[in-house]
Amino acid sequence: MNTEARLQRAKEILTPFTKEILTPETNRVDVVIDAGDLTKATAAMKAADWGYLSAITGLDLGPEAGNLEALYHFCDAAAVTSLRVRLPRDGQPEIASIADQIPVASFFERELSEMLGVAVVGTPDPTHLFLPDDWPDGVFPNRKEFTIEKAAPVERDIPKVPEQGRVGNKFIVPIGPQHPALKEPGHFEFAVDGEVITGARMRLGYVHRGIEKATEQRNWIQNLYLLERICGICSHTHTSAYAMGAEKLAQVEVPSRALAIRELIAGLERIHSHLLWLGVAAHEAGFDTLFMYSWRDRETVMNLLEEITGNRVNYSISVLGGVKQDIGPGETRSIHKAMDYLEERIRYYLDIVSTDAMFLQRTRGIGTMTRDEAILYGALGPTARASGLERDVRIDSPYGAYHQFPISLITDERGDLEAKFTVRLKELLVTCFAIRTIVDNLPAGELAVRFPRKVPAGETVSRVEAPRGEAFYFIKSNGGENPERIKIRTPSLCNWTSVLNKAVGHQLADMPMLIAGMDPCFSCNDRMVTVRRKDETETMSWAQLRAYGIEKYKMKSEVRTRPALRYPLR
Amino acid sequence: MIAAPSLINKVVSGITTWARVNSPWIIHFNSGSCNGCDIEILATLTPYYDIERFGVKLKGSPRHADILVCTGPVTRQARDRLLRIYEQMPEPKFVVAVGSCGISGGTFAGCYNVVGHIDEVLPVDAYIPGCPPRPEAIIDGVLKLLTHIKDGTRPELIKPELGAHA
Repeated sequence: MNTEARLQRAKEILTPFTKEILTPETNRVDVVIDAGDLTKATAAMKAADWGYLSAITGLDLGPEAGNLEALYHFCDAAAVTSLRVRLPRDGQPEIASIADQIPVASFFERELSEMLGVAVVGTPDPTHLFLPDDWPDGVFPNRKEFTIEKAAPVERDIPKVPEQGRVGNKFIVPIGPQHPALKEPGHFEFAVDGEVITGARMRLGYVHRGIEKATEQRNWIQNLYLLERICGICSHTHTSAYAMGAEKLAQVEVPSRALAIRELIAGLERIHSHLLWLGVAAHEAGFDTLFMYSWRDRETVMNLLEEITGNRVNYSISVLGGVKQDIGPGETRSIHKAMDYLEERIRYYLDIVSTDAMFLQRTRGIGTMTRDEAILYGALGPTARASGLERDVRIDSPYGAYHQFPISLITDERGDLEAKFTVRLKELLVTCFAIRTIVDNLPAGELAVRFPRKVPAGETVSRVEAPRGEAFYFIKSNGGENPERIKIRTPSLCNWTSVLNKAVGHQLADMPMLIAGMDPCFSCNDRMVTVRRKDETETMSWAQLRAYGIEKYKMKSEVRTRPALRYPLR
Repeated sequence: MIAAPSLINKVVSGITTWARVNSPWIIHFNSGSCNGCDIEILATLTPYYDIERFGVKLKGSPRHADILVCTGPVTRQARDRLLRIYEQMPEPKFVVAVGSCGISGGTFAGCYNVVGHIDEVLPVDAYIPGCPPRPEAIIDGVLKLLTHIKDGTRPELIKPELGAHA
């Protein structure tokens, strides 16, 4: 089905609720509905299996218009349907929750309520998602009248992070925000029964800086460098998504050579990101040799990025309207040489992660997520593809040079941690191939075209496949030198739902691996998540504990007698 | 004859300084960074740059660490944690601020959830500028700090020139 047909179908599904239909872009319909019809409309979209909920954007139209808008973006391949709900700006705007239908919406809804002051009725957890505990009530950063003075800290009984120990009749194991495993701050609380997790809770917000608001105070060019610093690992993804959106609004045609160079850098970034992840994930499993190996090999890509762009991290190759640096014959030679080395190493790692008996004990059959669960939890990127869900923006909705230099889709049906390793490593081989193709067939032409200072009014959605999944940008311009609103939804946020829901029932010792399996990026998503908890954990008597131990070891010996691994330990 | 207490002190402090300079254990905390500095710090610890040859080792617990390596501007939610980690470290303790954001707030200066740069919260001994600094720069910064620890002098505190945002 092509994009036209998909959009037509979305219009048909939404006919009973439609008040007005706008088509701001060729691949997007914007359906205005009543706030009261929202749950019915999303239920209809879900029942018809039309795409997935990608993001919720909150807009403040300002005091003159007197309206707030909430946009529910559904994506299906290249087609995007936005449900636009208009709400009054004064008083207490209210909207119904859709989190019972679409679990991942609960994060988006909490963000909407704390950033824009829209009360979401019936959302599972209405507490702070992003903002610090000492944030004053009734102050919303995305409202037009917000100033930094209004956000002065208030004295209040801040709920203390529980210490290790028994809370009621549960035993809570707190981890973080500073912890040896992950290099970024995130706080986890696991309620445990023996060694089995019965509940998981997570508090983020340690790295929330307020970038979305800051974009409104900077001009189009300054924002490129601000958004690059959302995340140091996938910096090019953010500049690409932003530049793509801004160029679409300004109707600037980017030269094909620039688009190819952008895809090339995106490929190198994917290699550096996945090798980094491979090392960190191996480190969580206690396999430090693999950690050191993969980080050593990652330096090949870092050197390459430095040679091409002049910087190892935050490379700033994109400018609005093109790219800064060209690929010459010298760089082409270096790229081929590096790819020769990397392809060999990646095949070696692929062999290790699928044959090393010790490593497989930590990955095979752990945290298995079925395809249906991946759809339900709204998983994205390699996390979804490892469960056999074909979801990749580069293929579903090719942007930039992906028409000319396409990528093959890599999926794995198994859904466990091992599948996540193989999917990412196979993806690297595909990326290496694409990089070679691009440098050999680089289109001739200009590197950049002129970009205007002021961008015409309008709004656009741009989606880019980051190493971790789909990054979603909504950009609105009012015709001035600064953007009116930029909404960013990063892939890690959507993947948290799946990990925390899968945590229940696993061993505590598997948690670092399960968390690493989705390749979390706190600086990108930085939000707060809570999962249902089983509260009935009880004190165990000595006899019960002994019986539990005996049963557990019986189970373990059964596990040991299952068929031997295909390959012996080398 | 028992040696004079001052002599014992001198010998003991000589030995501890020698040990400290040859095995400085570091702890790393990200209080709002974009991750760029953090991956460069990690790259510094891995085989290509291998800062472990100077005895530097990354530790998980602040109670084992001599040097706190901080990255990023300090956000409102992370501020108390940063202070708590600093308080948990045994004396003498040193702080290294890595990256432009840690020094001046960088591109995030003025954002509503950012308290400020690191030396508004903690006394910083060494600043390593860059966005992010190269691994070589991080090695250089840490070694400069070690030289000062060896000589018994704290590095001269040169507060960087701050822009209008700070």
